[in-house]
Amino acid sequence: MSGRRIPDGGRIDRNRPVRFSFDGRSYSGFAGDTLASALLANGVTLFGRSFKYHRPRGVLAAGIDEPNALVTVLRGTKREANIPATQLEIYDGLVTESQNRFPSLGFDLGAVNQLGAPLISAGFYYKTFMGPVIGPLKGTRFWMFCEWFIRRAAGLGRADHEPDTSRYERMNAFCDVLVVGSGPAGMAAARAAAGTGKRVILTELDPVPGGSANLSGETIGGKPAVDWAADEAAELAALPNVRLLTRTHVWGYYDGNTLAALERLGDHVSSQHAGEARHRHWVIRAGTVVLATGAFERPIVFQGNDRPGVMLAGAARRYTAEFGVLPGRRVAVFTNNDSAYQAAAQLRAAGAEIAAIVDTRLSISPAARDLAQKAGGELLLGHAVSATGGRGALSGITVQQVDASGGVSGEKTNIAVDCLVVSGGWSPAIHLASQAGQKPKWDEDLQAFLPPEPAQKWLGAGAFLGAATTAEALRGGRAAGLKAAGAMASRAALEKVDAPELDPHPAPVFEIRADGGKAFVDHQLDVTADDVRLAHREGFMSVEHLKRYTTLGMATDQGKTSNVPGLAIMAAARGISIPEAGTTRFRPPFAPVSLGSLAAERFGELKPDRLTPMHDWHIERGAQMMPAGLWHRPQIYGFPGETLEQTYVREAAAVRESVGIVDVSTLGKIAVQGPDAAEFLDRVYTNMFSTLAVGKARYGLMLREDGLILDDGTTWRLGETEFLMTTTTAAAGKVMQHLECLLDVRWPDMRVSLTSVTDEWAGAAIAGPNARKVLERAVKGTAVDNDTLPFMGIVRGEIDGAPVMICRLSFSGELAYEVYCGAGHGTHVWEALMAAGEPFGILPYGMEALGTLRIEKGHVTGAEIDGRVTARDLYLDRMLSKKKPFVGSAMMDREGLADENRIRLVGIVSLDRQPLGGGAHIVEKNSRDEPNDSIGHITAVCYSPALSKYIGLALVKGGKARHGQRAFTADPLRGRYGPVEIVSHHFFDPDGSRMHG
Amino acid sequence: MVERESPLGAAYTPGRHGVADKPGAQISEPRPGSIVEIVAWPGSEKAALAAIKGATGLTLPDRPGGGASKAGKSAFGFAPGRWLVIDQAEGLGPALRAAVDSETGTVTDLSHGRTAIRIEGVRAEWVLSKFFAIDFSVEAFPVGEGRSTAHHDIFTQIQRTGDDRFDVYVFRSFARAFWTSLCHASEEVGYEVS
Repeated sequence: MSGRRIPDGGRIDRNRPVRFSFDGRSYSGFAGDTLASALLANGVTLFGRSFKYHRPRGVLAAGIDEPNALVTVLRGTKREANIPATQLEIYDGLVTESQNRFPSLGFDLGAVNQLGAPLISAGFYYKTFMGPVIGPLKGTRFWMFCEWFIRRAAGLGRADHEPDTSRYERMNAFCDVLVVGSGPAGMAAARAAAGTGKRVILTELDPVPGGSANLSGETIGGKPAVDWAADEAAELAALPNVRLLTRTHVWGYYDGNTLAALERLGDHVSSQHAGEARHRHWVIRAGTVVLATGAFERPIVFQGNDRPGVMLAGAARRYTAEFGVLPGRRVAVFTNNDSAYQAAAQLRAAGAEIAAIVDTRLSISPAARDLAQKAGGELLLGHAVSATGGRGALSGITVQQVDASGGVSGEKTNIAVDCLVVSGGWSPAIHLASQAGQKPKWDEDLQAFLPPEPAQKWLGAGAFLGAATTAEALRGGRAAGLKAAGAMASRAALEKVDAPELDPHPAPVFEIRADGGKAFVDHQLDVTADDVRLAHREGFMSVEHLKRYTTLGMATDQGKTSNVPGLAIMAAARGISIPEAGTTRFRPPFAPVSLGSLAAERFGELKPDRLTPMHDWHIERGAQMMPAGLWHRPQIYGFPGETLEQTYVREAAAVRESVGIVDVSTLGKIAVQGPDAAEFLDRVYTNMFSTLAVGKARYGLMLREDGLILDDGTTWRLGETEFLMTTTTAAAGKVMQHLECLLDVRWPDMRVSLTSVTDEWAGAAIAGPNARKVLERAVKGTAVDNDTLPFMGIVRGEIDGAPVMICRLSFSGELAYEVYCGAGHGTHVWEALMAAGEPFGILPYGMEALGTLRIEKGHVTGAEIDGRVTARDLYLDRMLSKKKPFVGSAMMDREGLADENRIRLVGIVSLDRQPLGGGAHIVEKNSRDEPNDSIGHITAVCYSPALSKYIGLALVKGGKARHGQRAFTADPLRGRYGPVEIVSHHFFDPDGSRMHG
Repeated sequence: MVERESPLGAAYTPGRHGVADKPGAQISEPRPGSIVEIVAWPGSEKAALAAIKGATGLTLPDRPGGGASKAGKSAFGFAPGRWLVIDQAEGLGPALRAAVDSETGTVTDLSHGRTAIRIEGVRAEWVLSKFFAIDFSVEAFPVGEGRSTAHHDIFTQIQRTGDDRFDVYVFRSFARAFWTSLCHASEEVGYEVS
């Protein structure tokens, strides 16, 4: 170690050394260190290279506001990029590397970009996008040429392409009071709210609760503040009505007081137990929220302010107090406010030498003067740092006199230091309030934006509201906690805080203007003060334009250290005040969120799959399954060596020749019951159902209000007031919603109940000339002959002891039956039917064969009912009752829907004996080179074993009028062109003798 | 009678799983013989509650989500004028059908169509909170009451049948997927399948 570590104090455990590596070099730190604190302790100050100019960068901050020190974490083959070293807790075996450098961090070829800096100032890529408008490159694809280089040179870390095997999960939580932030204000709020018995959640983004108490060096109630915080946290965590979440940042404030938070459970340990999530995405529904999120310190913008060794004063305090690390041996302080004097005194007390305190103000408070005395070093009032020096790391600063506007003059004094700590005032962390409120309010005294008026149920406390002292934070926190819990305010005395009485008001100085090098506003995206002025000169003056033109505040840190200084520089350039120039507004997330946590567990085996009762049977029989919405359905039951086409042709042929069985359990089934059920069906179907006899089924067509087809299916009348409606698999949910909406909104007086019974029934369709013979062997308790069970008839019986309901209907065009039984008996009945069919060579068939049979028959499905077709388009006019109105009847006769020349259902036959492609166009001329108008498209295709041809269904302009015509299929995507004949869609058994037989 | 097949298949793995020495949750499939849905027409709710009492002996509070559970029988409201009634024995459907005429409402037998999954134990609330945006605290969700909710696309009805016991009813086709997810989510706290 470099001797930067001080012997005691802080949250680190000096008895637990931790080994980790950075850029291939092994280092040692202590448990409780962040990567930033551990590297600083090892004397490392260079953490990365900047985005555009590849300038060397160190750490600026100590928390989530860090813009510079972003690293990539490697775990096995996983790379996670852009992690702030200030947020990364070290563990044994941690492997990290720096970013945006080649070949190494110390010697980076990309740094040559700095020479071309004038060419890549703000807005450079917009200009490059347009391409040169004059000169020899005018009108060329110069941008395309540049892009490759720009993409290579700019950027941050690199991700890997491996699947993320970490576990992420979601958690829903409810509480009366959510307190965000566990500093003195948040702790007091949580304590007060918890005392009323309300349910409280307290969140802290750091591993250790306490916030400013952990670094202030103050005493609260006679105890060192850090001990007070630890005791409070322990007591709170022990309460049954309090949940304390550390390593958790609340990142989004949504409607209904719903907040999103990310808990990081696995990032600080080398391994986790099986079952433990790496990140937990909390969705917290809170009665009232207390925002005690504190404040972020602002840097001052000056030349060379990005040199490693320059850091925020509050960050230096944190490294010293929380991690026992001195950020430098010889330190200068540069400030426009009193708070930095505490840093000076603390650094001095910890063993650093204070070379100078440079303050832009001409006078300071007595308390600050006391602290300056304690710190030692020269006190330079009315001065500013105008430049920094050093190669790679800071070696000295240049100090000059400064005026109230930030202009420097007079003699330059050089001071040798290895660390400069800076404070430009404090910006309350109003992000969540801004998400859940109106425009923030500018406070002239504090030179900061304060939270807006709440648009949701939240209260604030502490530095979030601009409170400058711990006593104020405790008072405000308690008041907010009590109010949030709906309790009376308390007048009881609060714990006494010992702290210097500093002046909370900074001087309004944001930038020190001096000729020469770059002064950075947004460190992460390399936006300089001159870039802001360039945006002004080029007309991008609104704060929203400024952001987009310069990328100010658009990096992963979302401008936590840069937004206000950037706005101030723009205001100065325009000669207006900061609030006139605009305000900063925030949207989620407050800090980066892992995509895994948002996707939490809806993939792989955790996908909500729907399985039919016979699923395992299909798998055992070697079925190849295919998705149908969430369902899994057998596509084919192939033999080894068979192609898909050979399999379905064999299966379909077996149905036509003898008998086959298919799982139709996925069909949507809705129990429609009640005294008004028949009337209800008359209203929702285009055809009549009130006339349907009990024990019979009828095919029905449903329209949407706009007159287009919604769905089709058969509905069975099981009793006078009881119907079983079936829908297509795909439209089951849609139809249920449609019907429920009608009942709830349109006809609330109708006594009809709807219940999804899709899952109650297992369904098997038996089809083929021998279907009845199979049933005769299997079914007990009822006859199945043509008289007992005519077409569209329903009977109840038993198969191998299980009750069944059988309806004779046909999708395949063959003699066919649908056998329904309780889902728990599905496999049992299926196997009994297989056994009964054995003498007839019964074959199970899949979706491909089912599709083939229905195409041959010309039956429509979702492929044709695509939300754009009318009943007439599908030649289902006969289904449109003229005796009654129904949903859609008022709109279905509109001119555009009745046009004879709409695309309408036809059959097509491939004339070149090549397969057709679903979705291909139908055109009138066969030309690849001369594309001409599409007259329709193919909806379904197959090889028809019955016709020994490749056939399909299509929607073609004019429909029937084109029967017998030749046309062409054009499928540019798959390169398939060829002649087809347009024919009737009733390819097979058009008079239906087979299914009625 | 033919025995009903469980939809869980190979996903049902009895025994101890996950990390903890002491399982935080027990997960089981109670396989009730009867699951029946009752719908009452507006104004007939009291008649429906009387029918439920007649068939099961359970007195249900007349309020949204009101329910009760004892001796292998449970019932709870899951929507206005709608209840799910469960009996460990078969045959509840016909009994309720006889008790509720079409002027009162309707009765739908869902004994095959819904699958009951029980989770109990000190961490049951925690595990279920991973799935459902429901306040599972006993104050907000008292013993006996029911809730309708969803996880991803899985519609779910939940009854709290004990301080730390919940009976979750899902569509049968989703049962295996939900069960798998439930076990997955319980690994962290340790679970026992029985």
